[in-house]
Amino acid sequence: MRVVVLLSAGRHPVSGRAILPPLEAQAIAMALALDPHCYGLHAGCTPDGVADAPGYGLPSLDLLTIDADVDPVPALAADLSKRKPDLIVAGRRGQGGNDTGLLPYALAEALHLPLLNDIVSAAQEDSDGMGRFEQALPKGAKRRVTMLLPAIVTVHPLAPAAAPFAYAKARRGTIEFREGPSGEAAPGLFETRSRRARPKLMRQADAESDGGGAAIIDPDPDDAARMIVDYLERLGVRRLRNEASRTTDHRD
Amino acid sequence: MGAAAYLSWLVVAMIGIAIFQIARRVLLWRRGRPAEVAWLAGLAALPRRYLVDVHHVVNRDRGASRMHVPVAGGLVAACVLSLAGLIPALTGSRPLWGLVFAGFSAMLIGAGLVTARRYPHKLPRLSAGRYQRLPVLLLAFAAGGAFTAGLTSIGDPLPPLSILTLFVAALGGIGLALEVARGPMRHALAGAFHLVAHPRPDRFGDGRDTALRTIDLDAPKLGVETPVDFPWNRLLGFDACVQCGRCEAACPAFAVGQPLSPKHLIADLARAQSGGDAPAYGGAPYPNARSVGGTGGPDRPIIGENAVIHPDTLWSCTTCRACVEECPMMIEHVDAIIDLRRFQTLELGAVPAKAVDPLDNLRGCDEQNGQPLAARADFAAGMGVPVIRDIGEADILLWLGQGAYDLRYQRTLRALIRLLQMADVDFAILGDEERDCGDLARRLGDEATFQRLALDNIAVLSGYRFKRILTADPHALHVLRNEYQGHGGHYEVIHHAALIAELLESGQLSVGARQDLSVTYHDPCYLGRYNGEFDAPRAVLDWIGVERREMTRSGRRAMCCGGGGGAPVTDIPGDTRIPDLRMAQAKDTDASIVAVACPGCTAMLEGVVGEVPEVRDVAELVLQAVEAGRVAAQPAAGSPPQRVTA
Ligand code: SF4
Ligand code: SF4
Repeated sequence: MRVVVLLSAGRHPVSGRAILPPLEAQAIAMALALDPHCYGLHAGCTPDGVADAPGYGLPSLDLLTIDADVDPVPALAADLSKRKPDLIVAGRRGQGGNDTGLLPYALAEALHLPLLNDIVSAAQEDSDGMGRFEQALPKGAKRRVTMLLPAIVTVHPLAPAAAPFAYAKARRGTIEFREGPSGEAAPGLFETRSRRARPKLMRQADAESDGGGAAIIDPDPDDAARMIVDYLERLGVRRLRNEASRTTDHRD
Repeated sequence: MGAAAYLSWLVVAMIGIAIFQIARRVLLWRRGRPAEVAWLAGLAALPRRYLVDVHHVVNRDRGASRMHVPVAGGLVAACVLSLAGLIPALTGSRPLWGLVFAGFSAMLIGAGLVTARRYPHKLPRLSAGRYQRLPVLLLAFAAGGAFTAGLTSIGDPLPPLSILTLFVAALGGIGLALEVARGPMRHALAGAFHLVAHPRPDRFGDGRDTALRTIDLDAPKLGVETPVDFPWNRLLGFDACVQCGRCEAACPAFAVGQPLSPKHLIADLARAQSGGDAPAYGGAPYPNARSVGGTGGPDRPIIGENAVIHPDTLWSCTTCRACVEECPMMIEHVDAIIDLRRFQTLELGAVPAKAVDPLDNLRGCDEQNGQPLAARADFAAGMGVPVIRDIGEADILLWLGQGAYDLRYQRTLRALIRLLQMADVDFAILGDEERDCGDLARRLGDEATFQRLALDNIAVLSGYRFKRILTADPHALHVLRNEYQGHGGHYEVIHHAALIAELLESGQLSVGARQDLSVTYHDPCYLGRYNGEFDAPRAVLDWIGVERREMTRSGRRAMCCGGGGGAPVTDIPGDTRIPDLRMAQAKDTDASIVAVACPGCTAMLEGVVGEVPEVRDVAELVLQAVEAGRVAAQPAAGSPPQRVTA
């Protein structure tokens, strides 16, 4: 069985650094179990992030070079329809980079292939070109699906763990660069809007807090209360000095 | 001329056999990777290394030194003097044989002491097997030699008896010489070579050399897979092991039933070199030993379920260096363990399941639990700690370390920051520019991640001016002080206990009346054994006037808390846990507080449940004392002292 893993240039959720999405590392493990000679496929302008894939055991990696703003689907579809793998394994959602999670669906449409989402295991039926899969359903349920190959599947996080990353394997991995078709810019599916401005209060707090608060040991409770009220007013948390309010607990 | 003349030829034969036997091992060592050895300096230093450094370690076990000095000294003296008998003019010299008699007699006393260590019951840490033959051979050679030489020195009155004693000496002597390849006598020759060609010559004398060596990440193979991947002088080192078991007795992992014994490990590494023909190991098995299937050989993998050493053995080590500290043969167990881990991690990706996430996080976002770097200083919000990026320079750069994300250790760090502020120390933190120092990655064998983190941190540090780096984390201290040097980072790094000691001495901090507390101090391995700092924390405790008690294992020989080397991450199960054992030792002192000086120790010891001493960092104790002093200094403080934490 010929298996290909679609790889995307993800971003680390905390650092924003280019990484291979963890789910795709799991996809590699699944593909390896089916086909020890499986290969990875990525369409993009640089190998950032996907270059880690050999570190998870992926034997070879093809990179279709396309311009940064070009839709990768035609390039991938052209390549896949030439090489005709039996099974295309992909992640299931965007991981913060230039990926949307819609790609497997767009590809299934372009290649006229069935797509099965959220699988946790895959095996080839011995005889007849069928694949047997387990699909994760909500609330921990699973169902078996037998499907005629070729097909596209997306991997669910409950699939078996990825092989741990091995630096030396990543270092030895070779990437074959091939020129992808120069396509059109990706259709703008979404309107981009800048992040919602932070509430005014917090901005002020930020500007005010120079950090250097004073610690007052064992103050008179009334003084302490007054100081806290002053402080809150300076921050703008409290607008008007309300003589009626009482602040008794001054521990901060 | 009496039978003693043949003693000379016996010694010649023994030397010949020993050379032949050790040559077999030399051929094995030579297959190892090349290593740079300063031969002349090593040779010149040999007597000092042996007589001072080795003896210093041997002498910790008085019984051992009382045994070793006569047996080895007698053996060498008797053999050298016997060789003098080859000079024709001396062959018939009665005084010479009298001296030989004295040498053998000394050896005989020693051999008796060796025997007492093994018969009727051997000390538990010693090996049986071939090693149980050793006393017999020693006694035969010593007694036979003594009688032969003695009879000759009084004119050989009973020639048949002399022949008999010579025969006994020959049996023992030849037997000893044969043991040089695979048995206990190997330690004598390999040990001497090891002292000359030691991979860490700087550790001798008053020196210290504990930083892990860097490796070239572009090398064809990373880390050690088979015996021949070790540098040759490391292979030589494994052969120097005399299976005395001191390392095993000191090893915390062994003590709690994790499948690790440093002695067994070194013996396995020595055995793996020669593969199938190695004699069986006669020591205590790995606790809860996992079964392994392989025989090993120079080109065969060492680690694996089908190799010589089970991976769980490798991952049980806390890198505490207690074994290295105790080893009279100066073997570097931790280096071997890390080299083996490097291959597992870098080449195979064969790390324990629980270590995968921390390593992934370190690669992905420079923090082992996947927390944002910007959140590291959150615990100090409102304390007014300046970030060095905003001010450009400071006297002291405070390295917060991993503990800054830990709720418990945040208390310690806040106490330290308060002390610095009270003492008007000019300090700043790196803020979100502080990455993980790389300690965990390096101990888990992920040298690639360590090197990247080191270079990134060094790049950041080079952008600021500061005099010293202060840290409350001995692991960070060790890495910044000693291991960044290999990557171009040279810093003066000070541990918080040492800085607090300075501040107390200079009067920048002053403490109140004597604290009515009994405290026992737990030495962190990475501060103590790794960096030789034992005194400052104790001086601080004395300064604040607590009653200080020592645990049986303290200072250089302190027991690890179980928190180093990635052991909490790899989490190899044993019968109990190392911190439980250490806490029991602390409890035995009846102190009410166990003072710590490391986030790792704090976390491990805080995790112990039951009726145990309270865990307090040195900084917390000092803050308490300083605040007590301030309250006392305030006239007529009407209310009870209040702790102000923000
Ligand atoms: S490694 Fe050192 S301490 Fe351990 S048994 Fe061998 S010689 Fe003794
Ligand atoms: S470093 Fe510590 S845990 Fe590791 S083998 Fe040596 S004594 Fe045992």
